[in-house]
Amino acid sequence: MTEFAENAKATAPVVECRGVQRIYQQDSVPVYALRGADLTIHAGEFVSLAGPSGSGKSTLLNVIGGLDAFDAGSVSVGGVDLAALTPAQLAQTRLHNVGFVFQAYNLIPVLSARENVEFILQLQGVASQERRSRAEQALHSLGLAELGDRRPGELSGGQQQRVAIARAIVTEPVLLLADEPTANLDSKTTSELLAVLRDLNQQQGMTIVTATHDPIVMEYTSRQVTMLDGEIRQDGGVAA
Amino acid sequence: MDTLVLLFNLSLRNIVRYRRRNFFLFAAIAVAVGGTTLSNALIRGWQVDMLETAVSALTGHIKLQAPGFADDPGLDKAFAADPDIQLGGSVALAGVALRINLPAVISSERETRGVALVGINPAQEGISFYRDFVFEGQALTGSADGRLVIGKALAETLQTRVGRRVVVIVEDADGKSRERGYRIAGVFDAPIQWPEELLVFTGLQAMQQSLANSRLPTPVTEVSLVLQEEENRQLVQRELASKHPELVVTDWRQMSPQIAEIVDIVDATMAIWFVMIMGALTFGLVNTLIAAVMQRTQELGMLRALGMSDRLLLTQVVLESVGIMVVGVVFGLVLGVAMVFGLGDGIDLSSFSESVEAFGMSTLLRPVLNLEDLFLFGGLSVLLGLLASYFPARRALKISPLMAMNR
Repeated sequence: MTEFAENAKATAPVVECRGVQRIYQQDSVPVYALRGADLTIHAGEFVSLAGPSGSGKSTLLNVIGGLDAFDAGSVSVGGVDLAALTPAQLAQTRLHNVGFVFQAYNLIPVLSARENVEFILQLQGVASQERRSRAEQALHSLGLAELGDRRPGELSGGQQQRVAIARAIVTEPVLLLADEPTANLDSKTTSELLAVLRDLNQQQGMTIVTATHDPIVMEYTSRQVTMLDGEIRQDGGVAA
Repeated sequence: MDTLVLLFNLSLRNIVRYRRRNFFLFAAIAVAVGGTTLSNALIRGWQVDMLETAVSALTGHIKLQAPGFADDPGLDKAFAADPDIQLGGSVALAGVALRINLPAVISSERETRGVALVGINPAQEGISFYRDFVFEGQALTGSADGRLVIGKALAETLQTRVGRRVVVIVEDADGKSRERGYRIAGVFDAPIQWPEELLVFTGLQAMQQSLANSRLPTPVTEVSLVLQEEENRQLVQRELASKHPELVVTDWRQMSPQIAEIVDIVDATMAIWFVMIMGALTFGLVNTLIAAVMQRTQELGMLRALGMSDRLLLTQVVLESVGIMVVGVVFGLVLGVAMVFGLGDGIDLSSFSESVEAFGMSTLLRPVLNLEDLFLFGGLSVLLGLLASYFPARRALKISPLMAMNR
């Protein structure tokens, strides 16, 4: 287990954001995407970040995932202060400790489903046999055992998103971040996918944070955080 | 290693994935490399032809003469054609020719011209352009043949023909003019013009008999050597100079300095030509590769978001660029070689005979495929591909992992 993972287990919370600000410059005009967001997420939580477009939910998700920088405040994930990390260290943190599920699936189109899942393990330097075995296991757990040889173009949207989840969990990350994971799916597939995420959360204790404006998603999560204008307006049933 | 295999595999599949765009890129590279291969083969052919023409013009790779003969040729600077003369040493020779080569005046009933009277052993002249002469009448039958063969152009100038007699005047070793009548055995047609106008040939032995004196019973004025490998020229020259300090040993570069310079310039010309063609191609390649990277910002952003390091991302883009270049270069080399073979015996330049002779060339330009050239230019092309990949790779590194979030 990595130091990061040990910290995550030993010292809840997994995510701690304090007074996080993110300001973009649009034609030299500052636009506040986050205005001092405070958020604490503990291990084993399944959190939805909800809110209308431009509310800052995706920005907050990106900041937590180390994909985007922040201009003020502090963000620590698994007890590690992200502001102190270099871009290379952030990349290593993402590779080993954070799983990502994107709205557009973002599978590598020239690789098969199995190869897509194996890919991230290969980046981690996992040996060939172990890679293969773990990828098969991840695909099997998501009901994709028979589809491992298919390329993304030969899979439905729901199947592609399952492969993306398999890729995200195969590394056994401390934190799984999902950005609008069901936005491109029909309601039936959405429900199936959310059930998968809930199972991961409940059975494996995986901490999951998802940005969404889909009310169905919020029904599956254990904690709903609502954002507006870059601020957290409601956390659970309680106004922030 | 495992990761490199993955990246190689990924790059290969990406090349196939964008096959239509890459087909045109391959075609552009293949045409450029093929064209460069063909043009370089022709330029190399020109170079080889110039060298052969220079060496076969009674020069050889190396020539031994008496001191001062090159500046003031005369029988007084002849030397003995010692049968034990040590030639070549450790290096293989293609052939050796002993000659008497003297300035002379030839007269027919109607005209008189200054020429070089060359006494030869026809059996030894496989190393000179004499072997390529086409004779009307007869060629010299041997070293003892005392008849004369003259060029077609000279025969026209002298208004004479096969079977007629001409008078040749040379200066003997005492400085006295010696005049002798010759019957014309044959008139030769040479691949290039000047030997037809300036050279007349007779048998060496016959000439020695007429010019010999008590001091020098078998005089020659030059020994010409052609080596199996031109690269050994300097080594042989040094050996001969040490073995025959009484003679001057010169190589073809010293005897034909203009041609030597042109031969040297050819290598630079090929390099410049290659850089121009491949340079233009590289700009196009850079442009296309950058466009290819821009087309895949979300995919590359995703790789960064997942935690792919800069080094691996850079390697992947470079592998793709080099992969495209390698495939294009291989096709280009095959195309170039096919075009060279398609030219068959070469390009007939006889319509421009005067111009090409001015460059020391024969009228048939044969392309020469040099394996070293193919490897060099193939390798340099791939290297250019590597350099060209720098810009798209740099562009890829600027892609933010946030691009993965594009919807």
